[in-house]
Amino acid sequence: MKKLVQLNVNGDTHELAVNPDETLLGVLRNHLDLIGPKRGCDSGGCGCCTVHVDGKAVYSCMMYAVSAQDKNVVTIEGLGQNNDQGNGNGRELDPLQQAFIDAGAVQCGYCTCGVIMAAKELLDTVKNPDEDEIRHAIAGNLCRCTGYQKIVDAIKLAAAAV
Amino acid sequence: MTLPDLSDYFVPTQESELIDLLGRFGERAMIVAGGTFVHGLEARGLLSEVEALIDIGRLGLGGISQDAAGVTLGATTTLAELRRADFVQTDPAFGALQDALDYPPVQIRNVGTVGGCLAASAPLYDVPAALFALDGTACVRGAGGARDIPLNEFFVGLFENALRTDEFIAAVTLPKPAARTASAFLKLETNANDLAIINVAVRITLGENGRCADSRVVIGGGVGECYVRAGSAEAALEGGKAGGELFATAAAAVAHDIEPVTDQRGSEAYRRHMAIVYTRRALERALGRMVTGGTNG
Repeated sequence: MKKLVQLNVNGDTHELAVNPDETLLGVLRNHLDLIGPKRGCDSGGCGCCTVHVDGKAVYSCMMYAVSAQDKNVVTIEGLGQNNDQGNGNGRELDPLQQAFIDAGAVQCGYCTCGVIMAAKELLDTVKNPDEDEIRHAIAGNLCRCTGYQKIVDAIKLAAAAV
Repeated sequence: MTLPDLSDYFVPTQESELIDLLGRFGERAMIVAGGTFVHGLEARGLLSEVEALIDIGRLGLGGISQDAAGVTLGATTTLAELRRADFVQTDPAFGALQDALDYPPVQIRNVGTVGGCLAASAPLYDVPAALFALDGTACVRGAGGARDIPLNEFFVGLFENALRTDEFIAAVTLPKPAARTASAFLKLETNANDLAIINVAVRITLGENGRCADSRVVIGGGVGECYVRAGSAEAALEGGKAGGELFATAAAAVAHDIEPVTDQRGSEAYRRHMAIVYTRRALERALGRMVTGGTNG
């Protein structure tokens, strides 16, 4: 039996019929074509599916879509969209996204969207976090390429920019 | 669909509705609070018989309150909310909770709940070990009314607890700690986002003479079907002068209380050795907290 759910995603409201055991990740990727959140371990161990629900970072692979009913979901695609500077495309990158580019903090890119969403909650709640706070904030996100140093550098860069 | 028998996802808004659903579906109901444990089971194919998922997130079971008797943690209080509580941040007696709440990543803290981590009854989890060492009690409600189950009696096996199928955890209470009490928690893990190889929660209360008047030593990770309350270690601490020598003796005694397993995270011998090392370090950490002071005298 499908359930009708109303999801607020990146500022848009969607009414969807979903299986009651479908995860938020599955609905974002398969119903809404938001493929920023990635399917990695699918069991809350790697963090590449991280999105925000009501401003808090969560593993979207571990949340049923129906439990996100009426909550505000933000994926990497929803970052920066209120930063319209009149440049014609209607959006600018979030300072975190720009910092990841500037610091060269992306290799294969599979973890990047999740790391940025975890770091986003940190920068939303802590001003000028130190390196320990940064590393602690992204402890739930695995990167198999970078060794994390450039990711940490990027988050420091973004913290200085906001 | 990963739950082939699932018929519906319920979101009750009244406790009576929840109790009716639990009565109707019995063993085939699964309560969802934060949902993180449910997915862990589902991913391993252990939920194939579940017919009803029951989301208790809209029953108003969250929130933290304090009175003269101690603190009450609503079942759906998230780990993030608990971590921000003043008494967790500042009171040495609740240091074990402060420590344990530092380990789960933010994505788990934001959704994982106090009641959910207990109901999971997985002795690999961190926060329940701390709640156990603080003499927590699960306040449960069901068709037969309300009852309190001390955590000492709550965990009865791997993924098994003393809840009847019609019951749910409504809250967890922690008694007001005695003066001169401190606690600590330590976890040995393979990486920052893994289950415990072993974890240890300890609580000590000192008498006026600096001797151990009361203690709890709780060990989790792969050391048994449930958390182990290390009675031998507690007995060794009783009446002794708190410090390195006593702690080393007490820690060595945990070897008598645990039955470690061998798995991909560590061997039986490794776990046994590290349980001793981590018990000693946790006791020293708790004592250090008491020496550096706090708000509970």
